[in-house]
Amino acid sequence: MGALLAATLLSLLVLPLGALALSTSIDDLTAGAAHPLFGPALALSLRTTLLSLAFTLLTGTPLAWWLARSTSRAARLTELLVDLPIVVPPAVIGVALLQTFGRRGVLGPPLESLGVTIPFTEVAVLLAQVVVAAPFYVQAAANAFRKVDPDTLIVARSLGASAPTAFLRVAVPIALPGLVAGASLAWARALGEFGATLLFAGNMPGRTQTMPLAIFAALEADVRLAVVFALVLAAMGGALLLALRLAPALWRRRRGAA
Amino acid sequence: MRRLLLALLLALPGCRGAHPEDPARVTLQVFAASSLTEAFGELERSFEAAHPGVDVRLTFAGSQVLRLQIEQGAAADVFASANPEHLQALRAEGHVAPPVDFATNELVVVVPLDDPAGVRSFADLPNARRLVIGAEAVPVGRYTRRLLDRAAETLGADFVAAVRARVVSVEHNVRLVRAKVELGEADAAIVYRTDAAATERVRVVEIPPALNVRARYPIAVTTRAAAPETAARFVAFVRSPAGRGALERHGFRAAP
Repeated sequence: MGALLAATLLSLLVLPLGALALSTSIDDLTAGAAHPLFGPALALSLRTTLLSLAFTLLTGTPLAWWLARSTSRAARLTELLVDLPIVVPPAVIGVALLQTFGRRGVLGPPLESLGVTIPFTEVAVLLAQVVVAAPFYVQAAANAFRKVDPDTLIVARSLGASAPTAFLRVAVPIALPGLVAGASLAWARALGEFGATLLFAGNMPGRTQTMPLAIFAALEADVRLAVVFALVLAAMGGALLLALRLAPALWRRRRGAA
Repeated sequence: MRRLLLALLLALPGCRGAHPEDPARVTLQVFAASSLTEAFGELERSFEAAHPGVDVRLTFAGSQVLRLQIEQGAAADVFASANPEHLQALRAEGHVAPPVDFATNELVVVVPLDDPAGVRSFADLPNARRLVIGAEAVPVGRYTRRLLDRAAETLGADFVAAVRARVVSVEHNVRLVRAKVELGEADAAIVYRTDAAATERVRVVEIPPALNVRARYPIAVTTRAAAPETAARFVAFVRSPAGRGALERHGFRAAP
């Protein structure tokens, strides 16, 4: 019974992508990879998602740590606010970003007077990815940090470790599996980001057209091309998720050997 | 358990088989190009008022997406496309009956109400610092490129090069093109006249008639229509004086 239910979901998750792969020939794949939209979109997707992931880790880790440690009402409220972008449709997030950084936005005009324009640029692609993807990391990281026993940190501090050292050498290794899971999820979400990017960054081949936008563009022209692009994106995503999943074990083994 | 899953699947609206057409209670699935949103909304209301018992359900998307859905067996009775190509392809594949043209549309330039870049005529288009147009793969984008090719002949290649250099985004559907002007993020955009007519937040800048491109809109009944008679009646209604009036109120020109 349980197995049947599980198999139902599993086939729903696996069959569509499997059907895509089966309907595509090697010739289709090479033709797709040679398409002029393919290279620039792939490069842009890789560059922006890795940068947005770096930004998310840098800013999301301290936020998650505070959310996990603090018992204040402010922390619980903040946790709720961080989760909100998950609920809001990405296209609406795109409009919200325009109303923040756009010409008629809250921050747009002051930025423009400094000579900084964000909409329709690569920075807009990056910001859209951070807003839709970071909540997944912060949520997972906060949960992971909650598993860190405060006493171990007190012991580390009493043995002379500074607060940053105790955090990096004690808390982070304990929470690492959760941090990695959250980072993978956030990275995958950023890679698939479509709606917010379309509204906030527009669709300009070579400048703001990421893989999902290129796939949508191809869908309007030639469905088979869209399928090839999507398969490459799925394969790339699969490879990176696998690498991230294996990374903590490899890291621990190396540390164990050292 | 298996029976439960089957029952669940059958309870989903799309999974039921076709029923014989019952004139007292018909649901008519009409697939229409995004640019027809307002006009077909009005046609739906007047058709339903004239045919009690008929429930018209409208689905709007890019013509290519709708074509793909019909090819994959979507339950459409009528398909109104913004471009003859897609209906011709569906006709060749045997998915639709012969299409007929019901309307034409043309391009206009739209600018924000405060016109920040000073685009007062088509020749001012290079004044726009940010211009948004349709992607080449969608009909509005193809018409825009044809317009620019014609403009190159009369206004010069430099004009067109300057215009192209101002393009910051090529959008997948015409409503997204217009949205960028409505939000004030683009200084100008090229859309259909009907899209400009459907909002009060943009100002229209006319394109010289000699340069403008006319888009033909064909409509057809699908061969797998669940309600073929009602579908044919709907197509006739779209082309009737009442239908033409509705189309013209929304900026279309009714086909002769």
